[in-house]
Amino acid sequence: MKTAFFRTLRIVIAITLGACLFILLSYAGSKSKGPLEDVAILLNKNLASFEKKIVDTRESRSKSLHWFDKYRNNRDALERPDVMLLGAYDDHTAESYESIISLETALGTKLPLISLYTAWGSKRTQVFPILRAQAIYDLGSVPLITWEPWLDDFDPLLFPVSAGLSDKNKGGMKAIAEGKFDAYIDKWATDAKNFGAPFFLRLGHEMNDPYRYPWGPQNNKPEDFVAAWIHVRERFHKMGAENAVWVWSPHPAYSYLEFYPGTEYVDWVGTTTINYGTVATWSQWWSFDDTFGKFYENISRYKKPIMLTEFGSLSVGGDRAQWFQSAFDAFPVKYPDVKAVVFFHVSNDNTTTYKSLDWTFIEDEKVVSGIKHSVDAIEARYGAIMRR
Amino acid sequence: MMKADRKDLWSYRRAADATPVKKTILLVLVTAGMLSVLRLFNWWFREDHVANLFLFTLLSLIFWWGIARMVIVWMAFLRIKVPEKKTAPKGYRVAIFTTSSPGEPLSMFEKTLEACANITYPHTTYLLDDTRNPRFRELAKKHGAIWLELLDYPGAKAGKINEALKRTTEEFILVLDPDHIPFPNFLDNTLGYFEDESIGFVQVCQAYYNQYRSFTAKGAAEQTYGFYGPMQMGMNGTNCSVAIGANCTFRRKALESIGGHGVGLAEDLVTAIRIHAAGWKSIYNPVVVSRGLVPEDLGSFCKQQLKWARGVHEVLFAELPKHWRKLSFWQKISYSMISTYYMTGLTMFLFLLIPYFFLLFGWLPANMEFTEFLHLWLPVLVSAVLIYLFVQVWFCHPAKERGLHLRGMFLKFACWPVFFLGFLISLWNGTIPYIPTAKLAVKSFTPFARPLLIYQLIFLCSLGIVVVERGYYTAEARLMLSSGEVWGMVAFCFVAFLTSLGGLYAAYESRILDIAEPWKSVNLKNIKTPPADDVAIAPDYSLERRA
Repeated sequence: MKTAFFRTLRIVIAITLGACLFILLSYAGSKSKGPLEDVAILLNKNLASFEKKIVDTRESRSKSLHWFDKYRNNRDALERPDVMLLGAYDDHTAESYESIISLETALGTKLPLISLYTAWGSKRTQVFPILRAQAIYDLGSVPLITWEPWLDDFDPLLFPVSAGLSDKNKGGMKAIAEGKFDAYIDKWATDAKNFGAPFFLRLGHEMNDPYRYPWGPQNNKPEDFVAAWIHVRERFHKMGAENAVWVWSPHPAYSYLEFYPGTEYVDWVGTTTINYGTVATWSQWWSFDDTFGKFYENISRYKKPIMLTEFGSLSVGGDRAQWFQSAFDAFPVKYPDVKAVVFFHVSNDNTTTYKSLDWTFIEDEKVVSGIKHSVDAIEARYGAIMRR
Repeated sequence: MMKADRKDLWSYRRAADATPVKKTILLVLVTAGMLSVLRLFNWWFREDHVANLFLFTLLSLIFWWGIARMVIVWMAFLRIKVPEKKTAPKGYRVAIFTTSSPGEPLSMFEKTLEACANITYPHTTYLLDDTRNPRFRELAKKHGAIWLELLDYPGAKAGKINEALKRTTEEFILVLDPDHIPFPNFLDNTLGYFEDESIGFVQVCQAYYNQYRSFTAKGAAEQTYGFYGPMQMGMNGTNCSVAIGANCTFRRKALESIGGHGVGLAEDLVTAIRIHAAGWKSIYNPVVVSRGLVPEDLGSFCKQQLKWARGVHEVLFAELPKHWRKLSFWQKISYSMISTYYMTGLTMFLFLLIPYFFLLFGWLPANMEFTEFLHLWLPVLVSAVLIYLFVQVWFCHPAKERGLHLRGMFLKFACWPVFFLGFLISLWNGTIPYIPTAKLAVKSFTPFARPLLIYQLIFLCSLGIVVVERGYYTAEARLMLSSGEVWGMVAFCFVAFLTSLGGLYAAYESRILDIAEPWKSVNLKNIKTPPADDVAIAPDYSLERRA
């Protein structure tokens, strides 16, 4: 009896100690995740950059975008550009930006802006996307980073604030403003600073749309969004990350003025101008002026350069080439403050409707030749500056 | 190894006992290891990890095959049992069978037979000879051994043993490989266990005395330390320790109950399975009471491995299914494990192929983040290394055997083509002649090392292709985003490339070995054993401690 007891006790103790050792090992792993992964990410970035430099004896894209160097290496020039910058977002860029290159080739130009999206969170991929940013920089462009404050992906051990709530996003902006996510923000800002080159940072876009993102008004008061924005920007300042150019980017269809953080905290105003045509019951064919005219009227008072951060149209229900044409025609005349246009060139968009939407136009010859024409006109207009 | 150290080999050694403290520590480590494996398992099989279903399945099979084997070995360690010391009862009639074949050096038998004569327990030594060389007969006579000329029996060594069984009557038979020099107390360490009527055979540790002579010999010896230490001890705990061709003492009744010693390239394993299937029990006694030879040149080592690989697969395909139902649970696991050991040839082949699929064709098996994998895999690795190092307390001769055994790993990697070949030959049931492993080193750059050269060539060519492709053909817009992945894979191949250099070195060194007869320098008078009656009373007998 006694032996059996001691044997059982021994086994129980051994298994307990074993479990503790396991937890220790895993914990050591989690703890070391930061530095270990940072090293891996940096190693990858530096290796990629090094390889690019060695290989760069070929004709490189950055050489043909040479005129843009004075902007992409100078934050002030990016903050107050005297040219119109074109850019694109394409969803087939996981392994390569070749789809962007194809679009450029079709349009007969090189796009100074390349857009990418990244979410907040504790996952390994939810850090400052330094490899991508560097890849875009080395291609001669500037990254436009849309930074989405989803708060569900934070490690509950490190960010108990978001874990404690049943709906982690309810009042999320207030939590950000109160500094509950500072550790994350500071790390991101430091990485951004280490990246070094200026980049556009579009934080919490479409914050005024109550149906889309958790940082919208369904979960947050406008003043909390403003406080969060100011807080994040101050953290960046504190970390010395002055290379971000801040793009405040509301949705034009809902009220937005109360979400404006104030002139000293915003560098650019961005907005979404995409036309769904008649693809859904709730949508109809809006002309570019319908979508943007009223917004421009209100927003140009802020005297900020304006960026059409998601610019595109579906082809169902109207003439897509004409839609683009009228927009480009209107920029110099009616909307002179529009200084950047980013094509929303997504082939597989599942975010709003139950079926996947195709926003690409590279196969649509009429649209391509129309836009190409407009691009030529822009280059003619700013030719002197671009050649300088 | 220094000359003085070599003398150190000629002492009786016994593995440490499995004390409750040691076993508790082991259980702690194994628990941590198991939980780490479960965590890795839970992460590995996620749907979003599948990039290419076929390759992912293949990779998973290979990877988890390796992990599963490791876990089973851990489980076996938990059952480690050292048999109690038992004094050999007086009056047993014992035969020692040692065999000589054409081409084996006479001078080696000089030592073996003299050492047999020195064995203190009363016995009769038989030399089973088919050399047709009269000097073997003279030698046997000189050392008081009985010379049996057994010509032209099928089944090589086992055939001769079976014929000798018919011509002799002793109740116990020690089958001793001729390159093994037994210590005088050999039989005192095995016979005691036969008092239990259910014991069919008693196996002791197989140790070597020429490992200092080359990289290959050292590596080959390193590969065996774990097997003849904690592994067989764990198998002893579950009554499935296996008989090795050399140094096994059999009960005649057990051998007769299965119709004699098994025949074939893995005759030892066949015999062990049959004896277990017939209901006999076995004992593994972790003592060093003899030392023998390990191949000194890579060619001989590979030949030996090929022979075993072929033989062991024969056990898997032909022998194991026949006895499956008669084996216990642990015996099934143990024999399955042993008889699939050489499949590492196949798994390693596929494992090495996968990165080349990616580099040359862009096929990726899994969408796993490397850092995430590392993060989950490191606890498994740490536990595995800790367990590997900890169980070394049960080595038969820890002072000389301890370590990470890198040479053994290099050698195992160098042998994957050999294992693979053995596996392929078994598929079409091809035959490999039974040739005793060379006792003297063969000075040559073995053809078995050629696959390594081919592998190295493939690596260098692929490296060239990758460099040219990335330097001249990869789109600029793709270059940076794919850099980490491509060079990571190249690094993975490079590790294999570096590992293959170990085998290449062994092959190169084999060319310049100085050929000597290692047994010449062995002085039987230097063999140190405890007094016979000490066996039962001195549990941790150690001569150093005494001096």
